[in-house]
Amino acid sequence: MRLSLFAAAASLMLAAAPAAFAHAHLKASTPAAGAKVAPSTSALLLTFTEAVQPKFCTVTVLDSMGMHAEQGAPQTVPGHPNELSVKLHLQMAGKYTVDWHALSVDTHKTHGKFSFTVTN
Amino acid sequence: MDDSAWLVLRGLCRGLHLAGYFGAFGTAFFAALFGPLPGLKRLAWAGFVLALAGGAAWFWLQTAYFASANAPASVFAALPLVAGYTRFGWLTLARMGVLLLAMLCAQAGRWRVAALLAGLGVLAQSWLGHGAAMGGPEGNALLAFSLLHIGAAACWLGTLPALALAVARSDTPQALAQAYSRLGLICVALILASAFLQYWLLIGHLSAFLTTGYGATALLKTVLFAGLLALAARNRFHLTPTLPTSRKALRRAIAWEIALGLILLAAAGVVMQLPPPAMAGMEMG
Repeated sequence: MRLSLFAAAASLMLAAAPAAFAHAHLKASTPAAGAKVAPSTSALLLTFTEAVQPKFCTVTVLDSMGMHAEQGAPQTVPGHPNELSVKLHLQMAGKYTVDWHALSVDTHKTHGKFSFTVTN
Repeated sequence: MDDSAWLVLRGLCRGLHLAGYFGAFGTAFFAALFGPLPGLKRLAWAGFVLALAGGAAWFWLQTAYFASANAPASVFAALPLVAGYTRFGWLTLARMGVLLLAMLCAQAGRWRVAALLAGLGVLAQSWLGHGAAMGGPEGNALLAFSLLHIGAAACWLGTLPALALAVARSDTPQALAQAYSRLGLICVALILASAFLQYWLLIGHLSAFLTTGYGATALLKTVLFAGLLALAARNRFHLTPTLPTSRKALRRAIAWEIALGLILLAAAGVVMQLPPPAMAGMEMG
């Protein structure tokens, strides 16, 4: 009887469990996905759900002609190991596609893609 | 091999490394608790060799994965980068250094110091897990549960080879087995509680046990754990009271426990490579 009560309670707790976001998934970005920004935007900031290893992270930003708009390798923001920053040089208006690959400190790789638009 | 086959291989190597580490720590811990016995030093070194071999294979495969490299030369070139610039790299090397130090202490008969050092190395594995990477209240809770889980598992599974040796050689096997049972009971309670809390946060829903790779492997771990519990209960309530007559049967049962424990640790290695179901749907863009 006690065992079945425990099992029922355990099942209920599992059914109502909160989500824990393991692996480095993109939580937010500046510019955000789908945002419209000015050409003066000088950096892209990616915020992940976990701390990342910058030596094994890549971020490419391509304009509609396929030209690279990122400058240099991504770096973690001091004091924020879950944030990656990369410098931008946005030359023309149009759609820019961000393709990121991240390695989290718990040894897992994740990747994703989103775009933003530069308007004059 | 496709990606999932490499993932399983990385997990198996991680599991072997963990099994060796547990064995080396557990032997030192057993000697510190119940006194040294002839053969324990050799057993501890065997654990060290397994931890080293499994760890080296895991390090190589993990480097290949990090660097997206297939050719041995490319993997070799990426090794210093992984060793110096990733938490996995420096922590794995530091843990092996600590284990070597622990083995040297064991060799000198300083079993308590050896157990303490190896125990720190066992627990440090938690900093390669999800909790330590996540941070925040949830991450800290997961890290605490992981420390409890891995510590209790090492105290139980890691001491089994030493127990088998001691049961064969001890003049008072019944007293030893009874004292060991008390340690086992505490470990089992801690393993169950910490596993449940980790499942609660990382799996999220009962249906994920059957619909995801992570859940299915966690379920396999649970089934193996139930098998281990059944064997341990038989040892405690059936074989221990009839010692020393049942000495052979008890040793055989402990050997089965060790075999099941090895499979369980291999499954644990694989599960740590898989994405937990609770994070599904987090991709953006």
